[in-house]
Amino acid sequence: MKKLPRRDKLKIYGDLLSILNSEARREKIVLTRIQLRINVPFDRLKIYVAELKELGLIQDEPSLKLTEKGKQYLREYETVLDFMKRMGLTYQ
Amino acid sequence: MDNPALIVAEVVSAILCFILVRFMMKPYRYMGESRYIGLPLGFAFLGVSYIFLGLAMFFESFLFVEEMKWMQLFTQAYAFAFLAVTYYFSKREFERRRLWWEITFAGLVFAAVVSYILVFEPPMFGLPSYKTVDEYFRLFNIICLAYITVHTLRSHAARPDSKTIWIPLSYLLLGFGQYSSLIWSLDSSFSAFVGAHFLRLAGLLVFLFVSYQTFYSSRETPQEEGS
Repeated sequence: MKKLPRRDKLKIYGDLLSILNSEARREKIVLTRIQLRINVPFDRLKIYVAELKELGLIQDEPSLKLTEKGKQYLREYETVLDFMKRMGLTYQ
Repeated sequence: MDNPALIVAEVVSAILCFILVRFMMKPYRYMGESRYIGLPLGFAFLGVSYIFLGLAMFFESFLFVEEMKWMQLFTQAYAFAFLAVTYYFSKREFERRRLWWEITFAGLVFAAVVSYILVFEPPMFGLPSYKTVDEYFRLFNIICLAYITVHTLRSHAARPDSKTIWIPLSYLLLGFGQYSSLIWSLDSSFSAFVGAHFLRLAGLLVFLFVSYQTFYSSRETPQEEGS
């Protein structure tokens, strides 16, 4: 079985925000569905979600979704990833 | 004073490099990975090397002209070494070998400090002729740039995209600029000298174009799907 590359926390934050953004149309976001997409253990996912909430990047009222600050972070994160791709740098 | 146009070319190159440092800093700041620090450092060193060369051209009879030339030589070589090392350690298999990156980085910084001391302490360690060393350093720069060009081309070939072809092109232009400088130092051909400046400026402008396009032209707010 091919070993998946280790992701650091910032990469996981970025991936999580990106998934939450793409799931925003759903009436209710289920964490187990997010877990399947992001591929981290459930207990750790809950910690990451709590940390993102604490940072003010997501909110859970009325449902789990990105705040304006979260959207801004995601936009900058995706721009930097695009720049790295253009520069020929690997970031998995 | 040498040809003022050439001094202007050095100043413009330095300004372009320092603008690029601002963009190159972003992967390091956003990803928090020390291995990406080589990118802004490389361009900062490159900018400083053009300042040294510009100063050496401007103050022809200045007391430290020779030292300026030597500093330019070392600084430029470190710039390309930092860039090459950054690309080398950006490979996936080095993700968990941060120690190697830190050792290499520390080694480069140490070598830089030692070489700068050597420039100002010639009585202890007599330096060889500038012209000979210049040729070897140009060769070293070409090797570094060839490695980076191949790396970025392979990265482009792995996931072909029209946006990723520009960076290999810009490194290639910088490489040909160094080659042109080497030719100039061998046969003193003026066209090779002018060509070196032209190719270098073209390469840096391509970098600027790519950075500007990424950070300013294609900015879009992430849209919630379905909204």
